[in-house]
Amino acid sequence: MSASHTIFRKGISGALLACCFFPLSTRINEKTTTVPAQKEVTTIALNAIPGLQYDEVRIVVKPGSRVKITLTNKDDMSHNLVITTPGKRLEVVHAAVKLGEKGPSLNYIPQSPDVLWSIPVLSPGQAGSITFTAPEKTGIYPYVCTFPGHGFSMYGAMYVMSAGELPELLKDENVPPARRKGNDTNDSHASPSVADHPYPLTPPYLYRAYMMDASPAAIAVRLTDNLAYCWDAGSCELRYVWEGGFVDNTGLWKGKPNSEAKVLGKIFYRNSVTQPLRTGSPDRIQQVEFRGYKLINRYPEFHYTVDGTDVYELIRPTEKGDGLIRTFTIPRGNEDVWFIGAPTDGMKFESTAGTWRKQTLLVPVSGIKNFSIVMTKREGRKP
Amino acid sequence: MKPVISGRSLMAVLTVLFSCFSCEIASRSTSDRTASAYVVESIQMPVGLNSEVGGIGFLPDGRLIACFHRGEVMTYAPDTKEWKLFAEGLHDPLGLLVISNKEVLVMQQPELTRIQDTDGDGQADLYETVMDKFGISGNYHEFNYGPVRDKAGNMFIALNTGSSGDKIRSQVRGELKTDGRDGDTGNRQMFSVVPFRGWVMKLTPAGELMPFAMGFRSPNGIGFDSEGRLLVADNQGDWVSTSSLYHVEEGKFYGHPASLVWKKDWHQGNPFFMPVSELNAMRTKAIVLFPQGIMANSPSQILCDTTRGKFGPFGGQLLVGEMNHKRIIRVMLETVDGALQGACLPFLDEGDLRMGNNRLAFAPDGSLWVGQTDHGWAGDEGIQRISFTGVTPMDVYTMKLTPVGFDLTFTRPVDTGNASDPAHYRLRHYYYDYYKKGPQEGVDDAIQLDVQTVKVTDIKISGDGRTVSLVLDKLKAGYVYELKLENIKSEDGRALEHPLICYTLNHLKSQDLSSAVK
Repeated sequence: MSASHTIFRKGISGALLACCFFPLSTRINEKTTTVPAQKEVTTIALNAIPGLQYDEVRIVVKPGSRVKITLTNKDDMSHNLVITTPGKRLEVVHAAVKLGEKGPSLNYIPQSPDVLWSIPVLSPGQAGSITFTAPEKTGIYPYVCTFPGHGFSMYGAMYVMSAGELPELLKDENVPPARRKGNDTNDSHASPSVADHPYPLTPPYLYRAYMMDASPAAIAVRLTDNLAYCWDAGSCELRYVWEGGFVDNTGLWKGKPNSEAKVLGKIFYRNSVTQPLRTGSPDRIQQVEFRGYKLINRYPEFHYTVDGTDVYELIRPTEKGDGLIRTFTIPRGNEDVWFIGAPTDGMKFESTAGTWRKQTLLVPVSGIKNFSIVMTKREGRKP
Repeated sequence: MKPVISGRSLMAVLTVLFSCFSCEIASRSTSDRTASAYVVESIQMPVGLNSEVGGIGFLPDGRLIACFHRGEVMTYAPDTKEWKLFAEGLHDPLGLLVISNKEVLVMQQPELTRIQDTDGDGQADLYETVMDKFGISGNYHEFNYGPVRDKAGNMFIALNTGSSGDKIRSQVRGELKTDGRDGDTGNRQMFSVVPFRGWVMKLTPAGELMPFAMGFRSPNGIGFDSEGRLLVADNQGDWVSTSSLYHVEEGKFYGHPASLVWKKDWHQGNPFFMPVSELNAMRTKAIVLFPQGIMANSPSQILCDTTRGKFGPFGGQLLVGEMNHKRIIRVMLETVDGALQGACLPFLDEGDLRMGNNRLAFAPDGSLWVGQTDHGWAGDEGIQRISFTGVTPMDVYTMKLTPVGFDLTFTRPVDTGNASDPAHYRLRHYYYDYYKKGPQEGVDDAIQLDVQTVKVTDIKISGDGRTVSLVLDKLKAGYVYELKLENIKSEDGRALEHPLICYTLNHLKSQDLSSAVK
């Protein structure tokens, strides 16, 4: 890259910056933006924020007043701001698309009598402002980002009015549908949606997802309306079991950074033993590989290998729903198998084969073709 | 020809090219100058489905199969319009490959999975891990694309880099190498801190996994051209500032540095701090650039038109989805100086096509099905079906480089009056720099450098009226040649559908060839 290119770029960035950075805490509310005095400048700080939106979807100005709007781009994509004549948002958005090859050099702002004022494309972290005299004619003047693809969801309404109330946000068709629920841009994660899928969810069912305290290849399995567990397809082991709700996938499904399937219940068992199922020797950590799962009456039966030996593990709830029945099938194994539970797990372990020594179960090779371990909560003990 | 839309509800059938168009007009006559070549129909999606489409394909029995962002895999019977659930619970599936009526391969975030209905009840019961030998940092942007399969049975998948806008999780899968990231924070650069992020991987029929090619950022499009050559459409951003179509060959590096840390015997430390000139010398350039904000902002799947005319006159050319516009792009390639290069233009633009065109598949009847997504970005949701009406559109069929300019071949003979006037060809060239973007520079910014108007000095029209040969006052390698055709019409008065076409000129045609042509 040559030096002249660098300068050229800086030149462009500089030109975009009618720079006026507002402190991060500057947030307007609708009352303070209504400034009655003439000559005084009403200042409005708008932010472009992630999710193709402006942080404020309604602003209010007095007819004929001086207005200064500063747009700060707090998103990681580029955005502009175009204020149009009433009712002309979509027309202007379409005109911007029609700019074709001229779009980038015009900041995607079409020349049109319907474009009243604009702030050119801002890169992330940049701010730009525009000062103008509000129309004498009261009305609803849309503002919109005309960067390709953004104008259908990223917009708001400038109410030019001298008195009166704004319409109820819930019913305000001048703001994006997603923002009619309230002016709070933070999503409520309080409860998962009932209609997450085009079919009713009846346990057992599962989600592969990012989950806490597990490798990124985790599986959340809902066994009953009150019982669920996390299986780790990386380490091939049961990670934890909880009771209560299942998971909230809101953040994950929205594609939000740092999101995961949030456990909506109380974890009562956590496995603390690295790879509790061992073949041939209880003292050696062995190579595991995840091979998938088969649904048996919709319960997943996991298939993995331990040092190359195929293991199938089907997990079902106990009849009372106070624990898990883990049925292991090792059809071609030719060594003894150990299962190691930890005394601090807060669980009672029982099995259909083998012998327990403290918390360690030894299943001789004769019994490994099919055996079950039943884990139930020990009453009164905390995990 | 009777249009495909006859007999269907008018409400469900949308026209592509002219908003005033109606079924009656379409069925009148193919000589009608306003008759559309393509119609777009929106598929009714199941109630309650979040229709962010990650992958689509067709089963041998003619049903559509699609996977969705929340983990569902569903089938749709075009004749009965019935949706059925096939599989569920997947983690962000973004690609699928049909094996049989009962079996499909799905690329999800943690692995490539073989999903089968083994008991024949119509719902999958077996989910087998085919391949999970790549890293996951837990960054939300570590999407996986594909698989696509070549004639020899090798499968290829593409692994997205991680986003600087998100962290990595406390537990990762695979070796963690922080050299794959630009400093401690990552700043604004996409990163590759776990194995093979930013790579295309090859999985042989024997199950051997090979890292195949590197240097990708967000390779949301992977496919083959008509000759079976592997192509990737990569999203622009840091380093390569306009979206690109690459011809992917083994061992090559395509420009985004993060993935270099997973190159065998890599000893050069953090590639983000290497001299740009050195990286630039290592990289293989795009065969077609999609000028940012002009042709595309976010290209997606690549699909070669193999319908043998069922989908219209563009057989053998490539279709590429685009997210930010109501557009599907058409790409034509040619070999110049031993390398592929070519041109792109809109195939469909605006009209009733939606945005978010993420996945493409041809139905057995030759109609093109388009799966759409938005997922926090510009886009739309759902599935649309595009059918050829039998009316040949008036369009640029091919744009080919000559030693002195370009040959434009049209789908219909041109009106020679307009076509012989140089004023109707507005041509300019520009290029995009390869460089490390600073933290204050927008990921979406793409600066056109050395923008210059190029003069058309001579025009010749072939005897059949279909090919216009342009002679330019200069031709330079390393530039996009952007041609805007104005008032070009067909002999019978049809307006040109898509007047803007961009040719990526990497290699000039040699003078030897020039004399041979003359």
